[in-house]
Amino acid sequence: MPGLLTPSTDTSSSIIPYSSDSTTPTVYTLNHNLKPPTTPRLSISWSRGNSLRVTVFRSPATTDNEPGGKVVELNLSSEDVDSDIEMNDAARWRRIVYGSVSPFAHLQNKKNALAALDEFRRSVSHDGDWSKYVLQYSKEINSLLGSKKSSPTPLIEDPKTVLKVEEPSSLKAAWELLEIFYADKQSQPWIPEQLVDWLSDYDALFSGQVPSVHLKLVEFQAELINIQAVETEPAYWQAISSALAVGWLDIVVKLLRLHGSYQLNQLGTRETENGLVEAVAVLVSKMPRMRTDLPLGKLGECYNNKSDFMRAWEKWRAQITKLDCSAFWLQCSHNQTKENLKNLLQILLGNTSTVSSATCHWVELYIAHFLYIRPFTSGLESMYVLAQKCIQLKPISTPHKLMRLILGILEENTEVVLAECSRSFGPWMIAHATELLTAGSVEAEILLKEERDNLGGISIEESHRLVYAQVLSSHALTWQIAPIYLISCMKHGVGLLEILLYKQPAYHSQVLLKNIEICRMYDLDSVSSTAMKIAGVHHWKHGRKGTGVFWLQQARDEVRLNRIAQKLFDFVGKSISDESFEQWEGLIELLGSESKTVGGLEFLHKYRDFKKSLQQVQDGVFTDAARKAGEALILLMKNPSTPQRFWLPLLYDSLKLLNWRERPLLNVSQTNMLLNKLQELSVARLRPDFVEAGLPQEALSSVRVALATNLGRAILEE
Amino acid sequence: MEPEPQTTQTNLHILPQSSYIDSLRFLPPISAFSRHIAVASFNSDTSIPSLTLHSLTTTPTLTPITSFTPSSRITSLKTTQSLIAASTVTGSVHILFPNLINGTFESEVNVPDNVLHSGRVSGLDVLESGGECVSVGEDGRVNVISVGEDGRVDYRKVFDGKGLVSFTAVKWASQMEFVTGGFGNCVQWWDVRRAGGPVSQFKGNWAQGATSGIIHSIDIHPSRKHTCLAGGSYGTVFAWDLRRPQQPIVLSGIDNGETAACISESDVWEVHYDTFMSASDHAKLSSKGVLPAMICSEDGILAVLKQGEEPTELLAENCAINCFDIDPHNPSDVICGLEWESIALLTRA
Repeated sequence: MPGLLTPSTDTSSSIIPYSSDSTTPTVYTLNHNLKPPTTPRLSISWSRGNSLRVTVFRSPATTDNEPGGKVVELNLSSEDVDSDIEMNDAARWRRIVYGSVSPFAHLQNKKNALAALDEFRRSVSHDGDWSKYVLQYSKEINSLLGSKKSSPTPLIEDPKTVLKVEEPSSLKAAWELLEIFYADKQSQPWIPEQLVDWLSDYDALFSGQVPSVHLKLVEFQAELINIQAVETEPAYWQAISSALAVGWLDIVVKLLRLHGSYQLNQLGTRETENGLVEAVAVLVSKMPRMRTDLPLGKLGECYNNKSDFMRAWEKWRAQITKLDCSAFWLQCSHNQTKENLKNLLQILLGNTSTVSSATCHWVELYIAHFLYIRPFTSGLESMYVLAQKCIQLKPISTPHKLMRLILGILEENTEVVLAECSRSFGPWMIAHATELLTAGSVEAEILLKEERDNLGGISIEESHRLVYAQVLSSHALTWQIAPIYLISCMKHGVGLLEILLYKQPAYHSQVLLKNIEICRMYDLDSVSSTAMKIAGVHHWKHGRKGTGVFWLQQARDEVRLNRIAQKLFDFVGKSISDESFEQWEGLIELLGSESKTVGGLEFLHKYRDFKKSLQQVQDGVFTDAARKAGEALILLMKNPSTPQRFWLPLLYDSLKLLNWRERPLLNVSQTNMLLNKLQELSVARLRPDFVEAGLPQEALSSVRVALATNLGRAILEE
Repeated sequence: MEPEPQTTQTNLHILPQSSYIDSLRFLPPISAFSRHIAVASFNSDTSIPSLTLHSLTTTPTLTPITSFTPSSRITSLKTTQSLIAASTVTGSVHILFPNLINGTFESEVNVPDNVLHSGRVSGLDVLESGGECVSVGEDGRVNVISVGEDGRVDYRKVFDGKGLVSFTAVKWASQMEFVTGGFGNCVQWWDVRRAGGPVSQFKGNWAQGATSGIIHSIDIHPSRKHTCLAGGSYGTVFAWDLRRPQQPIVLSGIDNGETAACISESDVWEVHYDTFMSASDHAKLSSKGVLPAMICSEDGILAVLKQGEEPTELLAENCAINCFDIDPHNPSDVICGLEWESIALLTRA
């Protein structure tokens, strides 16, 4: 009895997560009337998508209600896997799949073109042009994963909205990390600043797993509307210091300006305090940044030259120190403001413990280090050392997938990066990201492109593409994209493409046409002709003879066309009623006369003409038509290509010509010829291999009598 | 300097959907600013086909208003002033009467599976005046369905090919005549008053074996009822004039010896006469030539073909363009159904 799977107690042993409570399997019953004994059979096959189909077939039980079999469809959704949490919307996911086809195909074309242009250069990864193409590819893919669009700014900005809450995708976050480290060669000197931007876009992603600055700000924003004097709230100062630590300067300045001392009625009494708040805000907004430009609304002063930056940095630091030692602090009566502003200055001055307490997880601390403690960090090695230090300060028991990815990249361990991409983001990510990885370094290229015996002689890159193509092939709407990926696989691509095409249901006309189109693009003539043969036979079997013959002709399937012609012969030899005449006349028309190998067709064409004239004779009393029919009969009987088994049916059909009332239609010699043929037939009948035409018993005698009568009348006439 | 005539200024919007678009049609406008389209789609995740009415705003956005679930996937969709007709892969025909002001379907008439056709109904057309609907199928049957004022349907078989022929497209030429297309690039002209078989037939290139093709779509211009436009396999687009039945005018595709511009080598899925014309086009229009035709193809091309001119490409997509429709009231606008689950809206300037 088919039913639910018994959940295994040891969950680690299951390959695909299956939660019994999420989906009830669909059960179909199979009713059949096959007589016992039938051997019970069990079949397991993949249905569409993640559905596994288990079929049980057996003889129906004696009780009436028991069916002869059942089909159980289990949906093995992998919703526990991280990648699917974001992409459970299948349609949205397919949009990414569709969109990535063109950038991928373009890049492959460019690669092939470059390889053809410079055959001597074994690797193209260090070409200046190449890195430009890779960057373009990366940007195109990146734009598919969601736009970084800031929602249209409202006309009157709400001063209490400090943070725009958007839902970033971790897939996009991961892709951007790869882009920063591997694809964007031009911006490599600004990696730390790029990471600052990256964190400001994606810090929200960490919130689900660990406390984060983003979460802190979101919580504070929710409270903000209920707070009267913000500067007395510790949460306010915590929010500012955290935002400052991770470099969200615009938010810091905005929050500082909410300080009570800015209110007009307070300005007189809290002048010094307000001056200090504003001084800090100005210093924050003037922070030197080692980058070419800043997006609109972000604060800081850009320097794209290291020496200029260094000078500006020193000057800025001096200003902070000067403010820190200023005498105005003594005049500030608001204690909380004083202490917390001093604390902010400590962050700006790079005080390790202040920075550490302002940040939540190690990536934030890492970013704070870049901003305030070690702004000149460069090179992956020193970046990795710094990351290790930050992890020690803020350890996490189970690191977030993006954290694992960052570490893998910094460690320069391509295998770890690959494993992370594959484990957390699935086959799409890895199939597309390998292009970035190989562009990143020679070692990675060698690792990915080296053919491996343990992978059946293919490279890691190819194996990932094949896996992705397999995923595409399993869906009705994406299988036609799979060929683009398969064809980029040197070793097994074409073979798997052929298998994929063979597996498509060719009898479905739209699928068949798609199949033919794909075969045309990749010169797979034999595959398309096989599909056309399958379709031809299918349509023929289902009574659509015209369509069947069409596809067989398209496939140039002479063998089957001959078989059809042979069938026609058998058919013609047996009975020729008017209705069936129409049927086979249509078929003769379909088979055409072009095909030389369909030898007997010439006869069938003549036979059809003869039958037509014979029908006209029946309709009225046209002597001319009768004479023509008689001539056609003689021609047919004389013709050596007319098979012997048709002689009698032909003569029997034309009895009324032989018995023509007005005058004999056949002359003496013609009648003699026909009589001789009849004699020959009588002899042939004695042979064991003779096939009877299936005519009435008296057919032969009535033909003989008619011929004899005709002979007599012809002699008299002559 | 003379301006280049081949370029057309276009404005394109791609509107992603979450199901496969089988066919789409403009519906008659209820006001100058309110347009509606009917979309036949198939959700492959749930295997549910649907026929949905969308309102099309100028932004542009598509907002679904109401939807109908046909018995199976829609193969052909036609709209007139008063009704929407759709045929399906399992042989049924649905006729719906939309009320665009309320955004509902007022009534529906269904002819169930296997009554008119056994198996796929490959083509369907409705007379512009409403009432008569002709359907053709792979089973070789040709049926005329009459829809009465009271919503009653009556149907009769015009022809039964008994599987020896299969039809793939159909289009009314007049109140009494229609044209069908099928395998081997065959085109047949029928008159409902003459039962038993077609009045005239163009054999196409059936006899040429492997290079023969299938007609996917037919159009007939109301002002030139004797000429039909047909499009099919291998980028073939030709016009067949009933008065010169042996000499089709090839607009695109492989022709015996003659060189016609080949816009595409893939299947041409749909053809329509292009009713959008500039003043210079009007001047050039002769009474003899074939009117401009728009086609969409498997290799993602939407183009306008004019006899004796280079084709004008309006769109070149990365995926197939399965269907399109020209807004009859505003012919500068074209909607296309793209293979990758999206609808493209194209506006020509």
